[in-house]
Amino acid sequence: MGNISVKLFGKGLRNPVFNASGTLGYGVEIEPLWGVETLGAYVTKGLSIKPHHGNPTPRVWEERHGMINSIGLQNVGVDRFFDEYLPFFKKKKTPIIVNFFGFTEDEYIACAEKIKPDRSIVALEMNLSCPNIKAGGISFGKEPGMVFDIVKKVKAVTTIPLFAKLTPEVKNIVDIAKAACDAGADGLTLINTMPAAGFDAKKRNIPLKGGLSGPVLKPIALRAVYECSKAVPVPVIGAGGIMDATDAVSFFMAGARAIQVGTATFVDPYAIPKIIKGIADFLDVNGYKKIDDIIGITHEK
Amino acid sequence: MDDIEGKILSNKSIAPGYCLLRVRLSGSMGVVRPGQFIMMKIPDGGVFLRRPFSIYDYQKGVLTIMYKVVGKGTEQLSKAIKDTPVLTLGPLGKWFVLDKRRVPVVVAGGIGFAGVYALIKKLHGKASIFFGCSTKDEVVLLKDAMPFHPLIATLDGSYGFRGNVIQLLKKHLNGLKDKNVEVFTCGPDNMVKSLKGLIEPHGIPCQVLLEERMACGMGLCFGCVKKTTDVQEPYKRVCKEGPVFDLWEISL
Repeated sequence: MGNISVKLFGKGLRNPVFNASGTLGYGVEIEPLWGVETLGAYVTKGLSIKPHHGNPTPRVWEERHGMINSIGLQNVGVDRFFDEYLPFFKKKKTPIIVNFFGFTEDEYIACAEKIKPDRSIVALEMNLSCPNIKAGGISFGKEPGMVFDIVKKVKAVTTIPLFAKLTPEVKNIVDIAKAACDAGADGLTLINTMPAAGFDAKKRNIPLKGGLSGPVLKPIALRAVYECSKAVPVPVIGAGGIMDATDAVSFFMAGARAIQVGTATFVDPYAIPKIIKGIADFLDVNGYKKIDDIIGITHEK
Repeated sequence: MDDIEGKILSNKSIAPGYCLLRVRLSGSMGVVRPGQFIMMKIPDGGVFLRRPFSIYDYQKGVLTIMYKVVGKGTEQLSKAIKDTPVLTLGPLGKWFVLDKRRVPVVVAGGIGFAGVYALIKKLHGKASIFFGCSTKDEVVLLKDAMPFHPLIATLDGSYGFRGNVIQLLKKHLNGLKDKNVEVFTCGPDNMVKSLKGLIEPHGIPCQVLLEERMACGMGLCFGCVKKTTDVQEPYKRVCKEGPVFDLWEISL
């Protein structure tokens, strides 16, 4: 069997397949079908320093090849997550990546400070798609300068490796990726959902604006992973429209060290275990001994 | 609970815009309780996400759902012919909880009947049933409940009581309110709102089955919430904490 284990920041992970933040609840909900121990690592629902109620409905909207969500980052807050859910992941011996966000620099910093290093925590993942209230609501991730500032400030208060999760709605994502790395980001997650609007043709209105996800996003994500992983020295996690093992393998070949599966789980709740198995099968069938042998093979030498 | 393959046995129009679908499942859903639902889709059928449907009936490996054609998903489903494969995730969600000390009263509007029929069947005549719809065309939805003598209201007066189901319930409330009743309901938002207004002064307990647009159906995405009176965490997932809620905890 091809070896699909990967190392991230010195920690060995069973496989390079994670859930995307916010697409596997708090991890406990999938238990009736398969356990979080199946994952390389569990990425938490986006956590904030205080609990966050989220948006009114409608929160989800179907498109032909994807969906739009406007959950509004509903979460129990970082304290309650660690009290109520961390023991579950410890018991399951499942490493976690803690996704967090804020609406001000102070909220990001407070959140990162609150999360203490722990054997179960592989990394933090900061969601840079949030609106910066003090900057008039423009997303933290839109400008290289803003990305540099916030990443630098967060890095100053934590010793846990830090992934910056980037929004694709930018002029040049490579510039943003470089800014994050210059500020000390230890890795990048590419990409977050794309801003979009649902349209109800029957009611002639726009029921929600939110983030577009699903297979419609895959080529955009693949390009971001390809371009950025060539340009920066840190590990890149690929995310965006991965529906099956063939998609997953494409991301590894484009330069991703690990991948995240999100919307696919809503279409097929077994998507993640199927993808993990499919990656191992791909290595076997094509004569690769380990996942490292295909990571970044599309990069020009 | 599991994701189970099935094949359509029959898919019939039972009234204009309403269908009854029977599916032979390849595996067991386990114990199914009144009020629970499934997420269903036709593989490669051109619809991206599954759709939630109340479990109308489930016995001997045959699942029945009653649905109203309201959008792309149900339109596609309504055209599916015998032997079409389907995927069925379930049973999902919380169910109606019966208190033996209380007299059950079931109140349903339109396709809301699909959500309470399993309960009516379980109670087997022990419940008073109130049903409301627009015209006599929809009364046929009640066929399986007819042996239990439902009281029926139509908005146009073409069958039974002329008016809505809550006006009909109001007429009978004097006889019910001293009987230690509990109401079980499913129907349009405005029906549930007027039900709340009617029974609130009498402090009658009520469990309501709610509907919401869903993506995953199992609590993963937080897409299908309803606002509750919980100050700390107002938005509860219809698929996980519901779809059956205590009416008095829901902000309507």
